[in-house]
Amino acid sequence: MSLHRFILRRVLLIVPMLFGITLLSFALTQLVPVNAVTANLGEQAAADPEAVAAFRHHWGLDRPLHEQYGAYAWNLLHGDFGVSISSKRPVLQDLRQFFPATVELAVTALALSVLVSIPLGILSAARRDTLFDQFTRVISLVGVSIPVFWLGLIGILVFYAGLGWAPPPGRLSADIVPPPFVTGFLVLDGLLAGRIDVVTDALRHLVLPAIVLSSYGLGIITRMMRGSMLEVLAEDYIRTATAKGLSNRAVLLRHAARNGLIPVLTVIGLSFGGLLSGTVVTESVFAWPGLGLYAFRSATSFDSPAIMGVGVVIAMIYVLVNLVVDVLYGFADPRIRMA
Amino acid sequence: MRTSRRSLTLALAFLMAVTLVVGCTNSASPQPSAPANTAPKVLTIGASFVIKSLDPGRTIETTSNMINHSVYDSLVTFAGEDLKTALPSMATEWKISADSKTYTFTLRQGVKFASGNPMTADDVKWTFERVKNLKSNPAFLLNSVASIEVPDPQHVVLNLSESHTDLLAILSSASVGILDAKLLKQNGADASANAKDLDKAETYLNAHSAGTGPYVLQTYTPEQEVVLVRNPNYWGAAGNSDRVVIRNITESATQKLQVEAGSLDIAITLGPDQINALKGSAGVTTKASPSATTFYVLINNNPAVGGAFSNPKVQQAVRYALDYDGILALVGLGAVRLAGVIPTLFPGSVASSQAPKMDREKAKALLKEANLGEVKGAISYSSDPTSQGVQVSVLVQKIQSDLAAVGMTITLNGTTRATALQEYRDAKNQIGVWSWAADWPDASNFLVFAPGRTVGKRAGWLEDASPQAKDIADTARKAESEIDSAKRAALYQQFEQKMRDFGPFVPMFQPAVPYAFRSNVKGVTFNSVWGVDIYAVSKE
Repeated sequence: MSLHRFILRRVLLIVPMLFGITLLSFALTQLVPVNAVTANLGEQAAADPEAVAAFRHHWGLDRPLHEQYGAYAWNLLHGDFGVSISSKRPVLQDLRQFFPATVELAVTALALSVLVSIPLGILSAARRDTLFDQFTRVISLVGVSIPVFWLGLIGILVFYAGLGWAPPPGRLSADIVPPPFVTGFLVLDGLLAGRIDVVTDALRHLVLPAIVLSSYGLGIITRMMRGSMLEVLAEDYIRTATAKGLSNRAVLLRHAARNGLIPVLTVIGLSFGGLLSGTVVTESVFAWPGLGLYAFRSATSFDSPAIMGVGVVIAMIYVLVNLVVDVLYGFADPRIRMA
Repeated sequence: MRTSRRSLTLALAFLMAVTLVVGCTNSASPQPSAPANTAPKVLTIGASFVIKSLDPGRTIETTSNMINHSVYDSLVTFAGEDLKTALPSMATEWKISADSKTYTFTLRQGVKFASGNPMTADDVKWTFERVKNLKSNPAFLLNSVASIEVPDPQHVVLNLSESHTDLLAILSSASVGILDAKLLKQNGADASANAKDLDKAETYLNAHSAGTGPYVLQTYTPEQEVVLVRNPNYWGAAGNSDRVVIRNITESATQKLQVEAGSLDIAITLGPDQINALKGSAGVTTKASPSATTFYVLINNNPAVGGAFSNPKVQQAVRYALDYDGILALVGLGAVRLAGVIPTLFPGSVASSQAPKMDREKAKALLKEANLGEVKGAISYSSDPTSQGVQVSVLVQKIQSDLAAVGMTITLNGTTRATALQEYRDAKNQIGVWSWAADWPDASNFLVFAPGRTVGKRAGWLEDASPQAKDIADTARKAESEIDSAKRAALYQQFEQKMRDFGPFVPMFQPAVPYAFRSNVKGVTFNSVWGVDIYAVSKE
């Protein structure tokens, strides 16, 4: 099968998956013993049948369930995600606002963890059982086991409240007027608007949450890389390469690391998905207005169009990231591409 | 292949280096800003957002009330923490007919909306009709208003369907703040009888404001922040801040750190832990303001739900089993013991000294008289971290152990807010621990506890439940329709005494909302209707 057909098939698979996801989240919001009326109307309005009827009618909650979902699915096919009950804006507009904030954070965190953990894993395997290896193993164990929530609070306590190196939580300082919304990525929007103050301020705000969020990925990728390298280093072809007189460095990087990377790619792909959906706590500690905060707010106000919208976006990211990982396999190991 | 990979690596390394350099070089100076002489005066407030909308006709939540109060002027207002004396705002004077059925307001002259449009009596009429006809969250505020007349551009007459003495207090709400009718009609607003279907102005009002208040809305980014700037057309002295940034910071611990480090001027969502830790912090002032809120235990009077607890003797036993002093010590400084359901802030409440005291022998005797064997039950509550500075999950544990001390076996049933609220509103709590906050500053707010009314029904307590219930419901009706203020206060006190002595509600306390601010910020007060009055705040 050609690469193009492979990609096309995977992309088309998104469509049935979207219906599965939306149907499941729609069903869940119906199954829980709470409804949007309770979550959205105040004490007095909820006791007034007229106000309740007006609310239900406005949001179409007075229609039969299959009609409600049918209308949603039909609109979704046309690229319309519906209107959020709590923000009263089109869900697509909400997602456009919140999603870039999360992507900005997650991509930086992933880049940090990959750039640090891959070399760390390789070196650790190459110097197995040395002090450096022990140290790396402790670091990766700590990274995997420390809750991000706690690390975030400690990070703020030490680097913001204590040392004053990090800026306060949030994406931008209060005295900086945000640039006009173009992409939603503050660094990019700052560059587009020619506002260097925005770019530096946004980058400064990004550093601490990104480091905190990278801790889990750092731990797990280092462990995977080390384990996979140890396995590869025991292979015959490594001994052959060494016997041919290649330098240690060349054997390690060109022969071992490239093969050792393959299983790690899967973990990187999965941890990116995890980063996107797992930013809820980090975002709340760092007052980072991203998808996690939006998802939490939507869930607590039983805002089903918004909940379904978030589900759709996260699912699409998962599919796309896994697709990229599968394609990258081919580059890391051409034998996979042939198969 | 190799060269391209190398250049990719180089590019990545370069990008990383740039990020780190930029990130580190600036991090030495915690507060980057423009040169001092041109720096705008920015006031930053941290709050855990509760905003459903910024359209006054559709919102009555805590955070949106605070924002709208500084953007929309209402007919009358209150100063600081005082909730007893209504002061002129858009109305300079008012006349109330002898039967309290007709309110005539004289409007302030020469007031312009932020748009430049003049504010007239037609705007007032249009605003009130829109609130009523939208049938949204604040519509109940104007339930008693039957018709609105505009005899001339300077006067507005409200005709009520029956006598009501609390209308002035109600009209201070930001939800009935006066709107720029001309501007809003151009942006899809509607105030007709079909406004609930025809009005399309909410999106506009979530992005722009249309009031006469000291500030105007610059941006609202849901879940992130609200930015206000000065209203150039304000009728009074200009507001102190160039920009007011209200940030959504859901974590109390984060708010505490930020006010300590000076990047927040005011933090309003703090728990007892944060307040204790902030005491003695240099440059930070902590305060607690009494809140017009009643924390109470609800017991279900309906035998199908309440079980043994629907027995009046068991309800009395709960009343005498609770260790009120211990509860007060638990819920933070400034909390006040309530005898009845009306907070002590309002005339008509009964003094704390007259509240029932713990008497475990009496409680045990009552249980024995009830003769129901072992009394078992469950307390439902919302497991949200704090409500008005009160940690409800800790409070319910105290209640559980107090009831155990007289021989009742209680399990705790904490669920997320929406789930707990649903059960409570559906009258399905066997026992519940809840609070009722005033929507407007008057004792009339708390008549909802009377048999057959909103909260009474949630306890399964109807007027025909018992002769005492009928009597309490009658007293409530008399109190709300009494025009004479002294007689009215006396009737409310009668209502309070009856609620104190009998029925399925055990009132506990009114909390004090804790908050903290930088010591160079002056004029910070907190009232339970609109939180901080932003206009009154100035920064040195």
